[in-house]
Amino acid sequence: MRMADTAPLRGPDKPQGPVGLRRDAEKIGGALPPLLAEAEILAASVAMGEHGRRRAGPGENFWQYRQAVPGDPRSGVDWRRSGRSDYQFIREMEWETSQTVSLWVDHARSMDFRSENSPRTKWQRAALLALALVVLLTKAGERTSLMGTDATQPRSGTKQLNRVAMALGENPTGDRPEYGTPPSDRMVRGSRAVFFSDFLGDPEPMVPVLAHAADRGVKGCFVQVLDDIEETFPFDGRLIFESMGGGTEFETLRARSLQQEYREKLAERRARLDELARQLGWLVLHHRTGQSPRAALLWLYMATGARQL
Amino acid sequence: MTVGPIAFLVPWILAALVVLPVLWWLLRAIPPSPLRRVFPGVRLLLGLQEKEVMPARTPWWLLALRIGALAAAILAFAQPVLNPREETGSGPLLVLLDGGWGDAPDWSARMSHVAGALNLARQDSRPAALLQLSDSPPAEPVLEMRSAADWADRLQGLTPAPWGPDRDSWAAWFEDLDGGFETIWLTDGVSDDGEARLADALLSHGPVKVVPPAGEVRALTPPRLEEGVLRVSALQVEALPGPVSVAAIGPDPNGIERVLGRGESEFASGSNRVDISIPMPVELRNRVSRIQLETGLSAAGVVLADDAVRRRKVGLLSGQASNEAQDLTDPLNYLRKALEPFAEVVEAPLNDMLNTAPDVLILADVGSVSAQEEQDLLDWLGDGGVLIRFAGPRLARSGEGQLERDPLLPVRLRAGGRSVGGAMSWGAPRKLRPFPEDGVFAGLPIPGDVDISAQVMAQPDPDLSQRVLAALEDGTPLVTGREEGDGLVVLFHVTASADWSNLPLSGLFVQMLERLTQSAGSRSIDEGAVEGLTWTPAQVLDGFGRLQQPTLVAGVPGEDLIGRNLSAEAPPGIYASGDQRVVLNVMGADAELAPLAGLHDGVTFAAMEQEGETRLAPWLLAAAVLLLAIDVLATLMVSGRFRNVLRTGRRAAAGIAVLALLAVSAPAEAQEILEDPAPTDPEVLYAANETVLAYVLTGNDRIDRISEAGLRGLSRALFTRTAIEPADPVGVDLETSELSVLPMLYWPVTEYQPDLSDEAYVKLNDYLRYGGLILFDTMDSDLARNFNGETPNGRALQRIALKLDIPPLAPIPEDHVLTRTFYLIQDFPGRWYNTPVWAEAAHDVSEVEGLPFRNLNDGVTPVVIGGNDWASAWAEAEDGRPLFPIGRGTSGARQREMAMRFGVNLVMHVMTGNYKSDQVHVPALLDRLGQ
Repeated sequence: MRMADTAPLRGPDKPQGPVGLRRDAEKIGGALPPLLAEAEILAASVAMGEHGRRRAGPGENFWQYRQAVPGDPRSGVDWRRSGRSDYQFIREMEWETSQTVSLWVDHARSMDFRSENSPRTKWQRAALLALALVVLLTKAGERTSLMGTDATQPRSGTKQLNRVAMALGENPTGDRPEYGTPPSDRMVRGSRAVFFSDFLGDPEPMVPVLAHAADRGVKGCFVQVLDDIEETFPFDGRLIFESMGGGTEFETLRARSLQQEYREKLAERRARLDELARQLGWLVLHHRTGQSPRAALLWLYMATGARQL
Repeated sequence: MTVGPIAFLVPWILAALVVLPVLWWLLRAIPPSPLRRVFPGVRLLLGLQEKEVMPARTPWWLLALRIGALAAAILAFAQPVLNPREETGSGPLLVLLDGGWGDAPDWSARMSHVAGALNLARQDSRPAALLQLSDSPPAEPVLEMRSAADWADRLQGLTPAPWGPDRDSWAAWFEDLDGGFETIWLTDGVSDDGEARLADALLSHGPVKVVPPAGEVRALTPPRLEEGVLRVSALQVEALPGPVSVAAIGPDPNGIERVLGRGESEFASGSNRVDISIPMPVELRNRVSRIQLETGLSAAGVVLADDAVRRRKVGLLSGQASNEAQDLTDPLNYLRKALEPFAEVVEAPLNDMLNTAPDVLILADVGSVSAQEEQDLLDWLGDGGVLIRFAGPRLARSGEGQLERDPLLPVRLRAGGRSVGGAMSWGAPRKLRPFPEDGVFAGLPIPGDVDISAQVMAQPDPDLSQRVLAALEDGTPLVTGREEGDGLVVLFHVTASADWSNLPLSGLFVQMLERLTQSAGSRSIDEGAVEGLTWTPAQVLDGFGRLQQPTLVAGVPGEDLIGRNLSAEAPPGIYASGDQRVVLNVMGADAELAPLAGLHDGVTFAAMEQEGETRLAPWLLAAAVLLLAIDVLATLMVSGRFRNVLRTGRRAAAGIAVLALLAVSAPAEAQEILEDPAPTDPEVLYAANETVLAYVLTGNDRIDRISEAGLRGLSRALFTRTAIEPADPVGVDLETSELSVLPMLYWPVTEYQPDLSDEAYVKLNDYLRYGGLILFDTMDSDLARNFNGETPNGRALQRIALKLDIPPLAPIPEDHVLTRTFYLIQDFPGRWYNTPVWAEAAHDVSEVEGLPFRNLNDGVTPVVIGGNDWASAWAEAEDGRPLFPIGRGTSGARQREMAMRFGVNLVMHVMTGNYKSDQVHVPALLDRLGQ
């Protein structure tokens, strides 16, 4: 079941002569390296503790000898080891297989929000987590895909990492919606998916995409990235709230009195997301930009690597 | 316009108050505008309804705040004044100061009163004049009027004069003056009989307001000696009862001026004079240079002590040539020793001595004097000198006063003398008879061991009995005296040396001389001596009673000093002429103070302290600004924007709060440390009642746990193997715990070891000195081999040890008592091994012949230092299982056992000292060593 490690370059990603090379070089020299570097540093902190699959399975690397038990194929016996004792030993290899993990990082306007005390916008945090995850997955030899961008095609290797990094580093162009919906890209059967978003928009448009994912047997997780004040709602007095694009307005005469209700509504929205995930067999991570990304990344890495998702 | 105690200088501005209701209406109508906030969660808010509604109108208290601010501003601009002064008169103003010593106690109050009056005059543009009555009146009767501001600038330069005002001559000057003016007269309230005339003269020019002094004016008369006690009289103007205290000041033996004595008394009601005694020993009394009132000081409150209370000058003269080799036979030696504590001793030829004007002259065994000298002496005696003569072989031989009366001897003497109690004479040496009650020596106690064995005898003249000052038991006169002029001639019928009697050896001799010396009258202001000389001031008093160097050094004729004509030319102070000094005090001995009397009914009186008018405008403006500042905050709070302001400042505020907490808690902590651990402290009780091993808490949890487990393991080993049965180990905090009850301390040293306080070091040093043992463990000997001993833990240990009282150290030698206190061991392994362990170096390295053991370390070594991590080797879990692996296999188990044995030996060493190094055990030990 082992997949080829080096997928041939094809399609629009292949550098188109000197022009393509220059384009890529400029991109790397531009906004990318800091994000990639940070993602790698973050990934390194996780990879230190979690490396390899650490379980027996089809693969090239030696994992362990174990005593043969009835039912083991004779071809599996390692005669050199068995010759040294009275028992027969099976030479087991480390499980090495490559998965496809599709990521979606919501880049709607609402993700650009950052409160005064937050270190990052929600999008920056989501992109960092996604890229760090891609770094880890690439090191583990998995194939990754960033949905809705140039890097949609699942591939493995450093090149794909760079592609993802570039896609994440691109400045958004065009008219972006207030709240994001996952793109309806085709998903690889049996793959994994990770959706980064604040999930503050209407959940209805997500349903077709998720239905498609369920059809293809895709398991995954939602990562809800929220700003701190989106949880605490520390407002008071007369205020007019407006959405990031300015499309929605809401005026209140005393914001403080809305706090309880807002929190209830947010909890309700979360419960709905959790319910959706439960139905699909997905997992949900609630992450706040004020928290350390490391814990979230570790959680994500465990979640995407878990055998039973 | 005036409302109650407040007047408004610009009342028409108050009309602006009518706009306040308009403002009320305006502010109520305009609500604060809402704030726009970007918030992605707005979708969730849609459809929500707030339960409480922010008032669209400004809350009433905010309105009140703003209106209050505006009202305060309006009132401020109307220039309100609290306690406005009533209108004073118009025309020129004369401010009259007495300006004498009586003004000094409340000079600053006077100056502020004058400043207030001048300030008012300036506001009313009145010309003013300021005169000080202690000055002499100008020649021309012209009053120079200037602007009040001019005078206000000069106030700082005014000082009270150390003499009183001359009201009479000023009254004459005012009588010659033309023109009308209003007068404010700040008087010191002390009458000089010229006040009535002055008041009349002033009234003829215009209204007169008299400001009497706020407090009591007091003065002192010159000190005098009465019955050996220093005494002054305090005077006051108003005959009010009240306490009064004086201080006698003078140089101490080091020459530093200080208060040598104090006297207190109480003015009786209706009396303005009281005597104050200042009890003090003679030695101190002789040093007093001045006496002053302790409160309300002025020039008259200071009296300079003259020679009446100062050291007497005593001239010594001996008929015998001085012989330095024979001090004990030199009569002057005894006199010198006796006189020096309380008198100034002068030794010179007679003529020179008389020129220095001594109070007392002592002639020890001087036979005859020349006629000229006798005349000089008689003159001097006539002036009140005291001549004390001592008998002796020369006087007896000279035949002075034997045939006719000698004016320089009190009695006639018989030829020869008498000797009693000698080898060739009858009788025993004679004792003294008690002194006559009315004599100069009355009351002096007579010691029983004073014997007189030889003396010159007085002729039994009819008046002999009146001249006897002291006599022997048999009535023979011993000291006789006779008044000569104002002076006194005294004869001691014995020598001033111990030849004829042991009187000069007794304390009585000193007391007798002191009595005689003090009886010499004051020869200071001898009018005859002062008169005709020109005296220059050496030190003068200023109006406040401070001694100062004179700025005016012109000589003063003696007549002025006698006449007490105090003036700028002759201020009170100390005057000198040649080597003579006289003192001029403000008050004479019999001076009295009297209140002002006979003032014309037309004068009005005013109090010194006046409630100053206060301009309220600045305060009101400040209040308006403050209200506006509060308004800003309140507005922010009402509109919900305050939180943002707060948030930005929160971090700084938190930092400050933490600092404040630290500042508050640190002293509290220090306090706890300083408190003595109570004897009932359960920890101390536990450590005292049980044998416990102790370890130093390092603050590192892991190391502390290891230490505890290690000592627990060692305690169990001791319990099972030896007679020492320790209880559970305790951890000690070096800063707070009581160490004295602990036999030994295990101290794991890490590089994070914090520095200890000085108290802790003191405690540790005491612990080491009085028999405690500290086992320092750097726990790093596995590293030390590579680092050549310079490990971080080792450096930390050096840092600590620097302040500890640790004796010279040496690696534990093979024959150290530690190797055999319980087990015979050669090595001291812990978790690591093979590194040297250090203990107190041997004091005496001489080897006892033929024996392998040296008599080492009489006491217990105070420290054992190593890095073998013993605690880890000893460490046991609760179930007795070792906690740390050591070495490999059986050799590791062996190493652990050896480590335990070292621990046992160490504790045994602590408990038993050098018991095992006792030679008694040597044969048994030799036997076991297989030699």
